[in-house]
Amino acid sequence: MRVLLVEDEAPLRETLAARLKREGFAVDTAADGEEGLYLGREVPFDVAIIDLGLPKMSGMELIQELRAVGQRFPILILTARTSWQDKVTGFKHGADDYLVKPFHVEELLARLNALVRRASGWTKPTLECGPIVLDTTAQTVKVANAPADLTSYEYKVLEYLMLHAGELVSKADLTEHIYQQDFDRDSNVLEVFIGRLRRKLDPDNSLKPIETVRGRGYRFAIARSDSNG
Amino acid sequence: MNAGSVSAGAVTADPAHKLLLAAVPQRRPLSLQARSLFAAGVALAAFLGLTGFALDQAIYETLRTALRDRLQSYAYTYIANSDVARSRRWLPPEIGPGPFDRPDSGLYAAVVGPVDVDGVKSESWRSPSALGKDLPIAEKLKRGEERFIGPLDTPAGKIYLYSLGVDWEVPNRGGSVDLTLHVAEEAGQLEAQRDVFRRTLLVYLGGLGALLLLLLLATLRWSLRPLRRVATDLTRVERGEREQLSDDYPLELSRLASNINQFIDSERVHLSRYRNTLADLAHSLKTPLAVMRNELDSGESGEELRWTVLEQVGRMDQIVAYQLSRAAATGHTTFAAPIPIEPLAEEVVTSLEKVYAERRVLCEFDIDPAARFYGEQGDLLELLGNLLENAFKWAQARVLLTARAPPDRDKRRGLVLVIEDDGPGIPQDKVEQMLQRGVRGDERVQGHGLGLAIVQDLVKAYRGSLEVTRSTALGGAAFTLRFERN
Repeated sequence: MRVLLVEDEAPLRETLAARLKREGFAVDTAADGEEGLYLGREVPFDVAIIDLGLPKMSGMELIQELRAVGQRFPILILTARTSWQDKVTGFKHGADDYLVKPFHVEELLARLNALVRRASGWTKPTLECGPIVLDTTAQTVKVANAPADLTSYEYKVLEYLMLHAGELVSKADLTEHIYQQDFDRDSNVLEVFIGRLRRKLDPDNSLKPIETVRGRGYRFAIARSDSNG
Repeated sequence: MNAGSVSAGAVTADPAHKLLLAAVPQRRPLSLQARSLFAAGVALAAFLGLTGFALDQAIYETLRTALRDRLQSYAYTYIANSDVARSRRWLPPEIGPGPFDRPDSGLYAAVVGPVDVDGVKSESWRSPSALGKDLPIAEKLKRGEERFIGPLDTPAGKIYLYSLGVDWEVPNRGGSVDLTLHVAEEAGQLEAQRDVFRRTLLVYLGGLGALLLLLLLATLRWSLRPLRRVATDLTRVERGEREQLSDDYPLELSRLASNINQFIDSERVHLSRYRNTLADLAHSLKTPLAVMRNELDSGESGEELRWTVLEQVGRMDQIVAYQLSRAAATGHTTFAAPIPIEPLAEEVVTSLEKVYAERRVLCEFDIDPAARFYGEQGDLLELLGNLLENAFKWAQARVLLTARAPPDRDKRRGLVLVIEDDGPGIPQDKVEQMLQRGVRGDERVQGHGLGLAIVQDLVKAYRGSLEVTRSTALGGAAFTLRFERN
């Protein structure tokens, strides 16, 4: 999951970015509104965290601008203000959720996951595709009720594929949304991850959950069995 | 060095600049009394001036007409008392009307035409008073022509001149003689009369003007007295000598006074709320601080200390958040324009539908279009936001927002807001507890009570009421807010 973090307070930005990376997010940070707008225009993010009190361009303006240029990724606003007036203004400008400072990082992570999930059409925190169940809250995967032991990157790849189950996901998409920019994209690490995932999820090769679309990318082939409430 | 000296220069220049500004006297607008007096004075002066002028003109015309009549009657007297001789010459009377025979009487008569004075034939005659005076009395008029002119400047002084062209029948002989009679009077007499009149007029009109101004001044002072009273009363309120303005002002001021009173009231409530908030904040922060200090003093370390600190920091955070939103709430009703409910409710619900998208809650409105909130927009948002968020959290699937505007005894519409959900609801004994927590000091900030505590504070600030019951329509909790219009 690629996340844009726009926050002017350096200590908060850095600790938050570090934590998000540990949680498996690819993080791009910006210290002011203009930088945030530049990144938000150029990079295909899955979600953005925007502080409202920013230098150069306020958080509200940034959100408005991002929406104006057609960016649809979900936006979570961070604010020190608790008044409904501010919340309502934020939502009106295109925010999708808010969190009042100070907050627990766990709460932020839960909100981010929920936003990303909702943005890709999943309404419940568990993604179910046939026998494969991915719990975004606990970050665990079960295949036919037996827990699958995945590494963090494997989990992230699977999560991204399942979020977009049924859709074609290009290699470039996957790399961009899962790795930090400095990651070596040309290596075949991705193929290695996919291979391992196939073996772990489908040891006897009966489910065939991940399809390779030659020359174009991958597709999670098992249909969503999410009843959606 | 350089920068230092520059900034020092700027610092010293600034107060000097301010002093200069302060030295320029600010012109104060004229007082109401001065304005009224000035306007009335100008009007009065114009009115009295015109009146004086008109009266003066009228009296002058009257005096002139009277003079003309007098001169005319003198002329007729001359005609009556004189004769025309067979020689067709006019014979002056033996004795003319008294003043005309006396020199310096100021009355002159002359006849232009053939005359015979004691046998001396001549073409004009003058009364003894006019002898030796340089008067313009030589002109000959046509028959029947009559003329009154004056004042005329002559070497002998200013005069009024009456002239009459006469066609004098010659008795027994037939035919007639053309004669012109001039009768003149010095202007002095008329002018003296006019002066007397003018002086009288001036005294009376001046007196009248002064009287009217005094009356006006008295009226003004009398009618402006309530305003001065408002000012002194306000000063007293300011000094703390009284609580409020009294309510026995004249009609025009009573509304102003009651508005000021409301303002004073709400400011007072405000002030005490700020004081309370500040005291609450300080006091409620002391508890977590004490807990942490104890923990540190007891030599606790490691995981347990960490947990205590985390817990207390969380508590302090909630306290600060709660007191902040309390400080933001205004509770002002006096000057705010009434706010319709639906647009703001719509904004809140749109926001909540994003945040609680997964709950798939359907929020319905039943809003009377006449319903208005008489207060600050931010406060209404706070009320709706907190209560609707609560409802979204607990609802299974439905939330209902009802707004009514029931008229009170004075037919003024209040506001009733009901927020209901189909969640588990709140047992009646828990309601007491929950509301209790909302009004007690620092405990109210625990957990989800925060939003409700803010709502309770706002309701109190607007002198409204909050009731928590079971929803008859949806079966969950129902929060009913009632506001009277003050």
